[in-house]
Amino acid sequence: MRLLLVEDDRLLADGLTGQLEKAGFSIDWTGTAREAVSFGKHDDYRAVVLDLGLPDGSGLEVLKTWRANQINVPVLILTARGDWQDKVNGLKAGADDYLAKPFQTEELIARLNAIIRRSEGRVQSLLKAGGFELDENRQSLRLPDGSEHSLTGTEFRLLRCLMSRPGQVFSKEQLMEQLYNLNDTPSDNVIEAYIRRLRKLVGPESILTRRGQGYLFNEAV
Amino acid sequence: MKLFSKPSSVKGTLLALLLPAGIGLMALAWVVHGLLLDRMSRDFVESRLKDEVAFLEHQIRQAGGAVDSLNTGDYFQEVFHHAFAIRSPSETLISPSAWQPLLAPLLTMDSEGSVRIQGAEFSGAPSDILAYRKAFMVDGTPIVVIVSEDFGALKRSQTELHAWTAVVSVLLILLLVGVIWIGINLAMRPVVSIKGALTRLQDGEISRIGVRAPEEFRPLVQQLNQLLDSLDHRLERSRDALANLSHSVKTPISALRQILEDTERPLDASLRQQMASRLSDIDTQLEAEMRRSRFAGPQVGKSANPLTQARDLLWMLGRLYPDKSFELASSLPEDCRWAIEEHDLNEILGNLLDNAGKWSDSFVELSLEEVSGKPWISVIDDGPGVPEQELAKLGQRGVRLDEQTPGHGLGLAIVQDIVGRYGGRLGFAARTPAGLHVQVTL
Repeated sequence: MRLLLVEDDRLLADGLTGQLEKAGFSIDWTGTAREAVSFGKHDDYRAVVLDLGLPDGSGLEVLKTWRANQINVPVLILTARGDWQDKVNGLKAGADDYLAKPFQTEELIARLNAIIRRSEGRVQSLLKAGGFELDENRQSLRLPDGSEHSLTGTEFRLLRCLMSRPGQVFSKEQLMEQLYNLNDTPSDNVIEAYIRRLRKLVGPESILTRRGQGYLFNEAV
Repeated sequence: MKLFSKPSSVKGTLLALLLPAGIGLMALAWVVHGLLLDRMSRDFVESRLKDEVAFLEHQIRQAGGAVDSLNTGDYFQEVFHHAFAIRSPSETLISPSAWQPLLAPLLTMDSEGSVRIQGAEFSGAPSDILAYRKAFMVDGTPIVVIVSEDFGALKRSQTELHAWTAVVSVLLILLLVGVIWIGINLAMRPVVSIKGALTRLQDGEISRIGVRAPEEFRPLVQQLNQLLDSLDHRLERSRDALANLSHSVKTPISALRQILEDTERPLDASLRQQMASRLSDIDTQLEAEMRRSRFAGPQVGKSANPLTQARDLLWMLGRLYPDKSFELASSLPEDCRWAIEEHDLNEILGNLLDNAGKWSDSFVELSLEEVSGKPWISVIDDGPGVPEQELAKLGQRGVRLDEQTPGHGLGLAIVQDIVGRYGGRLGFAARTPAGLHVQVTL
């Protein structure tokens, strides 16, 4: 399995290369953001380990460039900053996982394997309805104005269900199946609360209520 | 182009407001004075004319209507400073004769009372007069009497008086401006002294503002001093923290160098182990100090939007643990803000959710609410939970209930720290059938 390692610290890179090769990866190494951008264009990498603090730029920018060019290889970010906001920003830029330095090589390898496994059989799948785009991999929704919103699991599943067949009425019972709840008997109000929250995102006209029947996604807005 | 640009200084504002107001009010007073003067003098003249007409009428009645027998000699000249005209069917009398063209038409009018004639152009006669006309019967003969006065002369003296009033008004305005100016300057003196104190503060001559400020500025000065206090405090804290850190980091570093520089010494497994654990210690110390130095604690003017931050964190954890469900339950409005610094809130939510994510079986729920106006956070998971007797130990620094999970065991201790700094409470409870329920009130 070919793997791209982007890390500017030679000592760390050499050590990692040795240990990753032992674990069965073949490693290409680069220490600059400029090279990383062009290396990423080769499509034979199964995964990338990307350090955020590069001498000639930020790893986040490299990642954004890749993602903008439809390079969907799984990426694990390495950084010395363990701030929650940094983690969020990293994942928003398109990373799949995150490891704070210093880390143990075993953990890195375990996580690499996990994101590679997760990416297998993954295809770029966008669900489009009425100007909205639901990104299945990123579990996010792009509005017609281009802004992207992250969704929680249940919000995502409900919206995916409604957007999969615009115009079809889904009963509360059908939508209930998308829920995962701690209570064995989720109440109708839970669905209503989620619908309310989704309407705030997509606008009140996009999800219509059919009294006594259920809800439908209206793409003619 | 703006008609009025707002003056930027208090002084400017006061002057811009008070000066035109003072001048305007003075001008108004002067105009009103003019109008009143006009009315008063006219009323006065009119009543005099009326009296004289009554006197003449009395004279004529005494004379039994014989107008010619009236004594129009010296006596009249003395009593009357006014022109008069008397008409009976037999004759007409007008004195002085120069007023003839003015008064003659009035005799033939049929209105009673006072008449004002302006802009008449006859030589020898004034152009602006006020006359009083009365018609009556004496023993069956109709008599008309008119007495009139040159109003122009009166107007001239009146104008002079009015002009003097204007002069006095202008003087008063100047005085008023002076008083306003002095008043503003006196009122602004504390501001000037505060300004001076700020300059001295900038130059480092003083470390706190000790000006006896007036009541309006006292909170400002207090705020400034508090801010300076907290800055000093923070500097001191970060110096202490750095000193501690450097001390605790340098020892293991020198130990490690010692080992590496000793070329004779073989690096066996146990030595490697020791070195690695020394390095881990350094890292743990660094991490703990870094995190502690990063949180801000309660601060004026800092607030966070809990919903946006919670959404981002939940989404991120959902990506990191793809087979677990992270849900948000909240009835807060979208634009709600909590008086807690953003980074601090992130640290609380992130640590609690990350823990729940690590331990949960398949489900984590975060609830954000306000209980009696105070922020309330709750995180529940469906993991194995913590035994009742261990609950009390949670959140104590350095206590890790499970050595197998990655992490420093710092998470809950950090949450405890931050919550403590906001004067809040962190509580743990076991859930049935399994799982942990963490509650934070701020």
